[in-house]
Amino acid sequence: MMHHRNIFQNILKVSLFLLFIVTSHEIVSAEGGPCKDYGDCDEFKYSLNDIDSLQRGASTYINYCYGCHSLQYSRWGRVAQDLEIPEDIFFENLVFDKSIKSGDLMTGAMPEESATWFGVEPPDLTLVSRYKGDDWIYSYLRAYYEDSSKQYGVNNLVYPGTAMPNVLLSLQGNQRLVCKDIPKIAKNGGEKRDNDGNPIMIEKCGFLEVQEGTGSLSKEEFDKLIYDLTNFLVYVGEPIKATRERIGWYVVFYFLIFTALSSLLYREFKKDYKK
Amino acid sequence: MQEKDKTRRKVLIGLTSAIGLSGVPFAATPFIAAWNPSAKAKAAGAPVKLDVSKMQFGQQIQVSWRKQPVFIVRHTKESIASLDLALPKLADPNSDDIVEPYKGLNPSRSKSPEYSVFSGVCTHLGCAPKYFPEVEPKPWDASWSGGFFCPCHGSMFDIVGRVFKGVPAPTNLVVPPHMFEGSILTIGEDKEL
Amino acid sequence: MSEMAGKLFSWLNNRLPIVNTFERHLSKHPVPSKVNFWYLFGALAAVTLIIQIVTGIWLIMPYSNTEEQAFSSIEYIMRDVDYGWVIRYMHTTGASLFFAVVYLHMFRGLLYGSYQKPKELVWIFGCTIYLAMMAEGFLGYVLPYGQMSYWGAQVIISLFGAIPYVGESLELWVRGDYYISGITVSRFFALHVVALPLILIALVFLHLVALHEVGAGNPEGVDIEEHLDEDGVPLDSVPFYPYKVLNGLVAIGVFMTVFAIIMFFFPEGGGYFIEMANFQEANPLVTPDHIAPVWYYAPFYTMLRAIPDPLGGLIVMAAAVAIFFIVPWLDRSKVASIRYKGIYSKIAITLFGVSFLTLGYLGTVGVTEIRKIMSIICTIIYFAYFLLMPIYTKYEKTKEVPTRL
Repeated sequence: MMHHRNIFQNILKVSLFLLFIVTSHEIVSAEGGPCKDYGDCDEFKYSLNDIDSLQRGASTYINYCYGCHSLQYSRWGRVAQDLEIPEDIFFENLVFDKSIKSGDLMTGAMPEESATWFGVEPPDLTLVSRYKGDDWIYSYLRAYYEDSSKQYGVNNLVYPGTAMPNVLLSLQGNQRLVCKDIPKIAKNGGEKRDNDGNPIMIEKCGFLEVQEGTGSLSKEEFDKLIYDLTNFLVYVGEPIKATRERIGWYVVFYFLIFTALSSLLYREFKKDYKK
Repeated sequence: MQEKDKTRRKVLIGLTSAIGLSGVPFAATPFIAAWNPSAKAKAAGAPVKLDVSKMQFGQQIQVSWRKQPVFIVRHTKESIASLDLALPKLADPNSDDIVEPYKGLNPSRSKSPEYSVFSGVCTHLGCAPKYFPEVEPKPWDASWSGGFFCPCHGSMFDIVGRVFKGVPAPTNLVVPPHMFEGSILTIGEDKEL
Repeated sequence: MSEMAGKLFSWLNNRLPIVNTFERHLSKHPVPSKVNFWYLFGALAAVTLIIQIVTGIWLIMPYSNTEEQAFSSIEYIMRDVDYGWVIRYMHTTGASLFFAVVYLHMFRGLLYGSYQKPKELVWIFGCTIYLAMMAEGFLGYVLPYGQMSYWGAQVIISLFGAIPYVGESLELWVRGDYYISGITVSRFFALHVVALPLILIALVFLHLVALHEVGAGNPEGVDIEEHLDEDGVPLDSVPFYPYKVLNGLVAIGVFMTVFAIIMFFFPEGGGYFIEMANFQEANPLVTPDHIAPVWYYAPFYTMLRAIPDPLGGLIVMAAAVAIFFIVPWLDRSKVASIRYKGIYSKIAITLFGVSFLTLGYLGTVGVTEIRKIMSIICTIIYFAYFLLMPIYTKYEKTKEVPTRL
């Protein structure tokens, strides 16, 4: 039927396009990714309904980051409210400047001369999760390593040449770039072995490794801290996100019902002229 | 069309309309709510806190609340005692003509017998009256016993902000909700109201 | 009570053509009885226009059109204004869906020859609407004054500079300043909020009036006016109201479902509806790694980049839009609908569709050697679809069009 031929043509067009894209590997291959020397950014999955995580993240932010990085679009009282922290406890523990009122914006503590200390003024971080992405933040904060050629003795694989010192050094410990012996991988993806069946080892460098005992937190604890901190930054980037997703279910459901009903109504009326 | 179909049609029209119309208030909510005072407005309109213990007796200071001046006067015992001197000159000594939150509580018209708290906006056309606490003859009143004089059109108020008779201003200076917690005065909020 | 309402209605109806208009354009307006889903996108475009206007009005209220406050006023809307985020996301989602719907609507036109006589003017008004939409979208995107707003504006305004002789003064004149600044933002604001919406509304009105004057088409390309009943009403027609209105209602249901899914779950559209860089305030000193336009301009951006010469690129890009206007005269076919056109038209439109989508994809990614070649090939295919049309539509073997739907 004529009707079917058009659908066929459309499917053909879409499939051709997809085939084209998929087979043209060169066209699709990624250029230098956002996590630069680190490789692919580590995957981060936010959980904005985990209030405890957000609270821990907020605490970490205030204690380690807010001294330099403002959150100029965020209001103190809103953070307390969204994170379900009673205002008096919040203000007692997380607000160090007593002249700050609940409705005030989190304008930060850095004076403008900070540009001369670091070469650049520490940027405001309210929206960093939206323009850099949560994957990036999560990877960046864990990718510092020792580098004596830099001003503050550290460099970062995700952001090479960063002007920011490693504020969390005491928690993570001293991370260094090390070389390791790893099995050689053959073209088909399997391990290459010698005649005795032992894997052939080659030396590869550029691995990150924390010196044992130099940090107050274990690797798991530190990763969790960074997870909570990144989670908090996702929240601060868009405080309404969790609510938006929750309301979304209801709205979509409503429109599905509406579509179904109006479809029944249309078909009922169509009987007037459809044989 | 058969009866059954007619009914089916009616039911479907009714149901679809009902579902459709039921969505309208939800769709309208964001547009109506967006007109509410925003967090910025609420922050700017937020109560103002200050410590008044350092004020001198007889001193008047001014703070800004909701972008308007609010006067705070710390009275001497003499000025409270001599409030009755101005009584015959006053248009509304008991604040009967206006809604006053703490009417009759204190001669100061506020929640504290020692401090007065009232808006620094002349009830005529909105200028800021000036504080003249000295009991001495003034060009605008030969028997001046201390108070406020508005330079714009000559309205006069006594030391606790009550309006004189025969001046352009119609009513007493407005007292905002406020509360004292020790020596901390909060203007714009009163947990007891 | 209802008698009073009836009297009031009569009073009004004697002074305004309410019943007349309702009958002429709705309850007694004949439209082809058998169309397919491709015919629903026009109504959806109208709905989207209304959504954009209403949400746009509400956004103007808290928005600040100054250089210093534009960016922060958007965050103000997102955080401090009650439900401001709903209105903002409705507007950004609506913008992208407006273009999606209009592209599909235009494609329907190409598929079924909706531009053929006597509907040429409907088509021309439509192309003008599309042009106005492109301007409107660009101007609107500058207003949040993020990095992409600034640098996108920089690229587009510098296109004016490519025009010989007048280019540089034109650039300066459009900007109103020696570099993009608050002056540029506030004039773009006036154009985006008042000038273009008025033009768009007028054009949409004319588009519909012209359509109603000659009557809508159908996927078979049959002229329904050829077979009338004893009252002069086409046999293969149904009154627009209620039948097509109800059809439109279903379309709106589906459309709003898609709208809601995007708005509530992926408002940034993976970085294609609201680009990530635009969450950073405009910085004239730092250029983003990739300056990419929003997805709906991507095909034309690819063409612009494919041509090394700036003036050449501008001309090609302009031609790519302008060529739509003359399609009614490029198509020499005796039949309107792709269903009855020959094999060449079918291949041509398929290639056109694929090249348009590919051009779109290429416009969103960085340039490599292979992609450059692809861009040029696809641009050639794109233009070939139009420029060869007079030939392949005239000489191909077509099928016989039925007389009735």
